[in-house]
Amino acid sequence: MTASAPTTLGTGTRAYRWARKNLFRTWLDALLTLFFGGFALYIVVTFLQFVFVTGRWGIIDVNLRLLLVGRWPADELSVIAVAVVVLGLWVGLIAGIVHGRQIRRETSAVASMSMSQRVSDLVRRFGLIFGTVLLLLVLTDTTGPWLMAGATIVAGVGGRILGGIASQMAVPHWFARGALLMMAAVPFALFFFLTGTVPLADWEGFYFNITSAIAGIILCFPLGVLLALARRSKLRLLQGLSVAYIEFVRGAPLFVLLLMANVSLEFFVPASLAPSKTIRAIVVFTIFTGAYLAEIVRGGLQSVPRGQEEAAKSLGLSPTKQMGLIVLPQALRNVIPAQIGQLISLFKDTTLAGLALGILDLLSAAQAITQQEGFRGQGLIVETLVFVGFLFWVGSFTMSRESQRLERKLGVGTR
Amino acid sequence: MTTESQIFADATKTVGEPIIEMERVDKFFGAFQALEGINLKVGRQEVVVVIGPSGSGKSTLIRCINRLEEHDNGRIIVDGIELSGDVRNIQEIRRETGMVFQQFNLFPHLSVIDNVTLAPRQVRRMPKKEAEDQAMEILERVRIPEQARKYPGQLSGGQQQRVAIARSLAMKPKVMLFDEPTSALDPEMINEVLDVMKDLALEGMTMIVVTHEMGFAREVADRVVFMADGQIVEVGTPEHFFTDPQEDRTKLFLSQIL
Amino acid sequence: MRVLSWAFQLLVFAVVAAIFFWLWGNFTRNTEASGIPTNFDFLSNPATFSIPGADFSPNEPVRNAYIVGVLNTLRVSVVGSILATILGTLIGIGRLSRNWVVSRLSAVYVELFRNIPLLVLLTFVFLGVVLQVMPSIEVSWNPLDWFVVSNRGIGVPWYDGVTGWSLSLVFTIGVVSWWMIARWRQSVFERTGRPSHAGLLGGSFFVLTLIVGWIVLGGAVSLPAVDGRQIVGGIRIDPSFFAILLALVIYTASHIAEIVRGSIQAVPKGQGEAAAALALTGFQRMWKVILPQAMRIAIPPLGNQYLNLIKNSSLGAGFSYFDITNVTQITVGNGSPAVPAFFLALVFYVVISLITSALVNVANRRFELVER
Repeated sequence: MTASAPTTLGTGTRAYRWARKNLFRTWLDALLTLFFGGFALYIVVTFLQFVFVTGRWGIIDVNLRLLLVGRWPADELSVIAVAVVVLGLWVGLIAGIVHGRQIRRETSAVASMSMSQRVSDLVRRFGLIFGTVLLLLVLTDTTGPWLMAGATIVAGVGGRILGGIASQMAVPHWFARGALLMMAAVPFALFFFLTGTVPLADWEGFYFNITSAIAGIILCFPLGVLLALARRSKLRLLQGLSVAYIEFVRGAPLFVLLLMANVSLEFFVPASLAPSKTIRAIVVFTIFTGAYLAEIVRGGLQSVPRGQEEAAKSLGLSPTKQMGLIVLPQALRNVIPAQIGQLISLFKDTTLAGLALGILDLLSAAQAITQQEGFRGQGLIVETLVFVGFLFWVGSFTMSRESQRLERKLGVGTR
Repeated sequence: MTTESQIFADATKTVGEPIIEMERVDKFFGAFQALEGINLKVGRQEVVVVIGPSGSGKSTLIRCINRLEEHDNGRIIVDGIELSGDVRNIQEIRRETGMVFQQFNLFPHLSVIDNVTLAPRQVRRMPKKEAEDQAMEILERVRIPEQARKYPGQLSGGQQQRVAIARSLAMKPKVMLFDEPTSALDPEMINEVLDVMKDLALEGMTMIVVTHEMGFAREVADRVVFMADGQIVEVGTPEHFFTDPQEDRTKLFLSQIL
Repeated sequence: MRVLSWAFQLLVFAVVAAIFFWLWGNFTRNTEASGIPTNFDFLSNPATFSIPGADFSPNEPVRNAYIVGVLNTLRVSVVGSILATILGTLIGIGRLSRNWVVSRLSAVYVELFRNIPLLVLLTFVFLGVVLQVMPSIEVSWNPLDWFVVSNRGIGVPWYDGVTGWSLSLVFTIGVVSWWMIARWRQSVFERTGRPSHAGLLGGSFFVLTLIVGWIVLGGAVSLPAVDGRQIVGGIRIDPSFFAILLALVIYTASHIAEIVRGSIQAVPKGQGEAAAALALTGFQRMWKVILPQAMRIAIPPLGNQYLNLIKNSSLGAGFSYFDITNVTQITVGNGSPAVPAFFLALVFYVVISLITSALVNVANRRFELVER
């Protein structure tokens, strides 16, 4: 019944046949393979040599805290640790609840996996981040961060189990709603907890890049949705305002907007209200990203088939309910990957705040430390920038891969 | 002395010289075997209709003949040229075989006349005037000369499929392969395409047709090939095949669709 | 219902207007109190700063500095867009290559540069490569004796001894003859079906015309050389221009590569199969069937990338490239009023963006498929 493996088209071992097909199909192919293979080999060897032999990583080791959290007082670092652990618990809880819901609706992708498969799936998806965190932990010389990491893992796993159990329990409706609200309040509570210790104006380092990107993307969300709805509405005046805003902001470079916020905001806002540089940066991020998000959401609204709105209409729903219950939820679901894309781009763009406003973000800190006594004039900028680039790369790459995964899962673009 | 109907009941024999020969052809998609030990010869001017349940390998069979799929074992010879990895052989065979797809696959950025003249001008190096005259002639044969300057997007499904047939005919092929040519059409358009195909058969074109149109098979086919699970289960003349099938699988299939 | 919706609109409009007037009121009050002008008279004041690499003296009015800035922004944007398109297209096609090494290498390029902030890349190129790897002017590299590479600039051979008018005449002759040859070859192709080779023949004739015309006119080559701490002769590429251009091209190419790959893959598979079944060669399939359709899909996102590139070029201001953003920053630092000065820069960017999107729309319509 079963025929043997292919024989007539190519002989020799599998590896030979693979190479013949993928590397040396034609003479031109062979030439390309040799040329680019050599080039790649050279780059890889040079890079590995730089990382493991010639690179002088002492500057990173010494300045690790400055790079990550700026001038956050050393004796207040425990506050961040507490926040991270709580965040771990929170993420675990959400993952557990979401998973529980997926099992109930039989849409879970991991329900059929064994424990070891789940762990390896997690490692494949987030291994880069775990590895990077581990690397940073190794570079520290105190036990605090290790304790924090351990506690976060415990909290995360615990939250995941708790969430799984909670999602299986039958609870009254009002209770579930209340719990959900409380969950939604956690990030804000954490924010006030952190600003209570160190004011927002002093948030620096990689910590600034991460938090300001998250703040920007959360704050711009209502703005973006409202702008998108206004642009689609039949109300001419609203439409005009929205179009003007979107086109103007999208036409302006973020860098110039940040520069303007730096030098000309005082003229428009009373001195008592003029905010700190960090807040200015976040406000500009919000204004800027809102315009882009509006266009994303508009695309999402267009992607919802007309029949959905007509069906809602035929059920006798009011226009507001047609939009709020039927169209908008589908639209927002469809644009999640694009929203993640926007988050990635904002995450990378937070570096502009350093240059434009003089905030000591990760990139500015990396430049500043090369001017320190003992490090000056040694060309250490290469080492520090590779480190900075690596941290940003790990974050963006992981997020973009997750968004592609989600895109496949949602089936967007496969229609 | 074997009768013609006996010859048609044997996939490895043809009346006269064969133009397509497939010997022990296997095709794998990963671990899945799509074709298994296919032996089939097609004579000149013969019309072969391939039927079978979906996933039985019918499309894969004809897609192997012009190398849209690469077969893994066995030999395929078209008009004396064996299909191998050699690009020149592949090109030569593709020049001799036309193919019509389920989804038409017309080039949407080119007008009808440009769709039809593209290959003759690019591959056969035909002068523009000559190619266009020939194209108009063929469009007349498929009964849509008036649509020549339109774009595919402006035509109905049936018209598009007839343009696709014209596009293949413009290369003056010796063999025409039809991959479910009417499956994507609205019912009222099926006949206009089948009529064109019948004309072609009457003119003596060698054709291999994958289809679910049993009426067409009965009326036009010289021989019907029934496939299941990547194998040829039964072969015969239409009257034999539809009135007196031998194999249980064939009987089951026919009982389901007729 | 109608009344209600109008009332709602007016309310929203009133709120927006109120915020606007509040801001405007603050602005006029604050500027009056501190005596800062709110008009554009500062454009006529002397600039009081010089722009290296440009024919600009500090006595000229600020207006002229703006013009230099605009031209510099346009220069880096146009050159950058062209180079990024070429590199991005090559890499995008490379990702689809059957050659494993080529496709892997392209994928690594895309994933690497797409996920690093442009500013990190730019800082690396400027501080890490240009200022560190490139030698100082005293020990500059002179590959082939035709180039000068140093951290004060890169010298490249340039034409010399030919006046602008005669050169543009030769250029025009070259272009016209290229066009005529292309027409002639096209008609031969239509008459006989022989391959036209229009690009090859016309292009080489064009180059030939340029060389011959230039020799006849007594042109010479000016080679760059180091004179003291200066690069003389040839044409000098400013290090900051080089850095911002390189970073923009590397970064934007990674995005364009993804667009190119995505658009080619978005062309239905059946198109390539139909072309193959008609015995078109691989090149003909790509050139006549796939690319024209992929182009249509690629135009809107490509336009977005060009817009991004123009806006991203403002980062050059942080690395002493004298684009419009930098000129604005400097003139504000030298006492020009901040709000009108930045307003001008913003208007410039917005106008450029609107023009670019209008062009993209035109191109889009041009490539639109005819449907029922």
